Amino acid sequence: MIAFEPSDDQKMVRDAVAQFAQRTLRPRMREFEKARGLPDDVLRAAAEMGLGLAAFPESVGGGGLGLVTQILIEEELANGDPSAAFALGGPGAYGWAALTFGGSAPAKTLIEPFLGDGAHARFGAVAWGEKKALAERAGLATRAEPGADGTWRLTGEKAFVHNADRAQSFIVFAQVDPSKGWDGLGAFVVPAGAKGLTVLPRSQTLGLDAASFGGLALDGVTVGEGARLAHAGEVRRLVCFFARQALFVAARGVGLARAAFDTTRAYAEQRRAFGKPIGHFQAVAFNLADRAMDLEAARGMVWRAAWLWDEAMKSADGETDTREALQHLAWAVSFAHEAAMRAGDEAVQLHGGSGFMRDYPVEKWMRDAKQLQLCAMTAEHADQLAAAIALGLPLDPALLLPGPESQNVFI
Amino acid sequence: MTIEFSLNSRQRELTAMIHQFAETVVRPQSLSWDREHGVPHDFLRQIVVMLQSIGGGLSMGPSRGEDAGETLDAEKKKKRQPALSTILSAEAMSWGDAGLLLCIPGPGLGGPPVRSSGTPAQRERFFKPFDDMSKDLKWGAYALTEPGAGSDVAGIRTTCRKEGREWVLSGRKCYITNGARASWNVVFATVDPSLGRAGHRAFVVEKGTPGFSVGRIEDKMGLRASETAELAFEECRVPEDNLLGGEDSYKSKEGFMTAMKTFDTTRPLVAAMALGIGRAAYEYAVAFVKEHYVLSRPIPRYAAIAERLARVGRNLAAARVTTWRAAWLADQGENNAKEASICKAMAGGAAIRACIEAIEICGAEGSIAAEHQLLEKWFRDIKVYDIFEGTGQIQRIVISKRLLPDLKSF
Repeated sequence: MIAFEPSDDQKMVRDAVAQFAQRTLRPRMREFEKARGLPDDVLRAAAEMGLGLAAFPESVGGGGLGLVTQILIEEELANGDPSAAFALGGPGAYGWAALTFGGSAPAKTLIEPFLGDGAHARFGAVAWGEKKALAERAGLATRAEPGADGTWRLTGEKAFVHNADRAQSFIVFAQVDPSKGWDGLGAFVVPAGAKGLTVLPRSQTLGLDAASFGGLALDGVTVGEGARLAHAGEVRRLVCFFARQALFVAARGVGLARAAFDTTRAYAEQRRAFGKPIGHFQAVAFNLADRAMDLEAARGMVWRAAWLWDEAMKSADGETDTREALQHLAWAVSFAHEAAMRAGDEAVQLHGGSGFMRDYPVEKWMRDAKQLQLCAMTAEHADQLAAAIALGLPLDPALLLPGPESQNVFI
Repeated sequence: MTIEFSLNSRQRELTAMIHQFAETVVRPQSLSWDREHGVPHDFLRQIVVMLQSIGGGLSMGPSRGEDAGETLDAEKKKKRQPALSTILSAEAMSWGDAGLLLCIPGPGLGGPPVRSSGTPAQRERFFKPFDDMSKDLKWGAYALTEPGAGSDVAGIRTTCRKEGREWVLSGRKCYITNGARASWNVVFATVDPSLGRAGHRAFVVEKGTPGFSVGRIEDKMGLRASETAELAFEECRVPEDNLLGGEDSYKSKEGFMTAMKTFDTTRPLVAAMALGIGRAAYEYAVAFVKEHYVLSRPIPRYAAIAERLARVGRNLAAARVTTWRAAWLADQGENNAKEASICKAMAGGAAIRACIEAIEICGAEGSIAAEHQLLEKWFRDIKVYDIFEGTGQIQRIVISKRLLPDLKSF
């Protein structure tokens, strides 16, 4: 059937997260921004609620609650502080990459350190992006070359890596077979202290200040044969990986849009000009109506995509091949990203000069929204993905995968 | 409860049947109905029989029975989802031909106000004629708009005054779908224009009532298969039993509320119809691109087309999910006024965009009215979906009033 009401269990989780977001995250978001990270007590509180593990399958130590529950969590977190939603500890993209490219057994081992004592302040990271595209061939510049005894030597420079400066472990993408282009990639687990691995200085970013974005230099980093994840050379899995991460980001976009909208709606009722509340002028009221429409649609699309993905995963081992789920996901990502950006932009606009001041929260949300649009998958990539599916085209990595050839994203 | 997005078995069956009918029977005749300004009655009779056999209410707003949700208690309604079933069917049929949908016999837009505001005796009396249409096809209609009052519903000037056991109506109505052939029109009039909404009364004016006459039939941009009429009331004498809801029900703002409540049902329905047309255009463009743009084309040009297609598909999906939610709220027995306006505004806009983009993507070929080339017709049909049942601007007024509780009017 068609239904739009979370289950009792989902409501319980959502309400608990909402309370955490409103009582802890929202009032302290400027503090997190200044500190460029979350303090230990906040990381601990989130970990105790199991927020980062909810959607992972139980077989790898997760909550087994599915993507629908996870996106409800993400919306609430981001409604509190979008930046904090990107800055919490846990396996995150690293865990999903382990599961997607390694399968259940390796993923269980890689996710294990994120369970139990002290796990709240542990981070993983995925090193995918590179600054410069190669002229001579498709694929990544970072190379993985076989060494002695089945080892691999990794050399190159990675950029746009979320959590680079705080991750205990990385999944690094590198070119194994240069002749195969995007089909010749490998993914390798690299511990933070590995010899030859340098964490590059953290980037100053436009928004999402509490989250850390940086890069890695790999100078002949040697890892064992067991460090290689088996399925990284499959374009379909790569597309699914980025798309699913993007859905989490889209759900945060919905939370951000809601925060900006609610704040602006309240401001429009209270701020007076020409003798009445500014919301009582059509130009302002219609703007609010458009944002309400954006929000209603973006949330519904994210829900629908998450539900389709959960359904597809029930019958699939590894990554889903359901084109319907992937298409709805692409639509949801494209729409929600843009809805978040419009919400941030219009929030500042309707606040006028005050909106530009850091005394008000809206300028932060506008910066956060633009930064959010560059995480996991851009609207442009999502559009190409949706069109490829509609047109029945093969999934072209040059068009669909983020990276130096098209648009880089933070992962 | 749950978050879920699959059609139930009945909805799947219903939409599959209507889709097949729309594809194989409706589409091949669509252009000829458009040219002839109507659908032959023999064909409408077949449709009536078909819809009865599958139990699908598809007249603009089901009349009564299970699909109208009238005989269902709240719990059964939540399970059966009559409003959702109706909008799903409407999208499927409108994908075939939107004009046909407006021609389907039944109480039409007149149904919802009679259902929501009529007394039990009135519901029995006015819906009964539709039970048997084996001999004569029958329509109901909804007459609100006037030459001087469209969006500004509160500003209607058609007057009514009580004389003995009759009401005397004077004024004119325009743009009334099926108004000329309707067995009855739900007509809104005012006892005193200076009272605004409080002065409104809703009457069921039957065909043949003295003083009631039909003016011209409009010549329209699109939806040309559908009849749009002008109605005139000159000292038109309507029995007091035809005052919808009875006199006591107007002690508050009932008359205006009757007019407005109707929209909570009809706006998602109109949104779904717009989505049917929009999806038809989108699918046409996708098929065209598949056929005419192959992978050997330079990627940059291809990517630009792909992006346009993606955005059309995306915006239709966005509008669709809001339409589903508005109908779902109705089935839950919850107030959906804001959501009904949201989906109506989104669907109208997205579907118009879909038709415009589809024409542009197909180039010159997109604008040719050839056999089985319906794109130019859809382009003409769709525009009014951002106008009737409240323009996009009116939807935004409705939405913003619900966002800003202190806002009474602009």
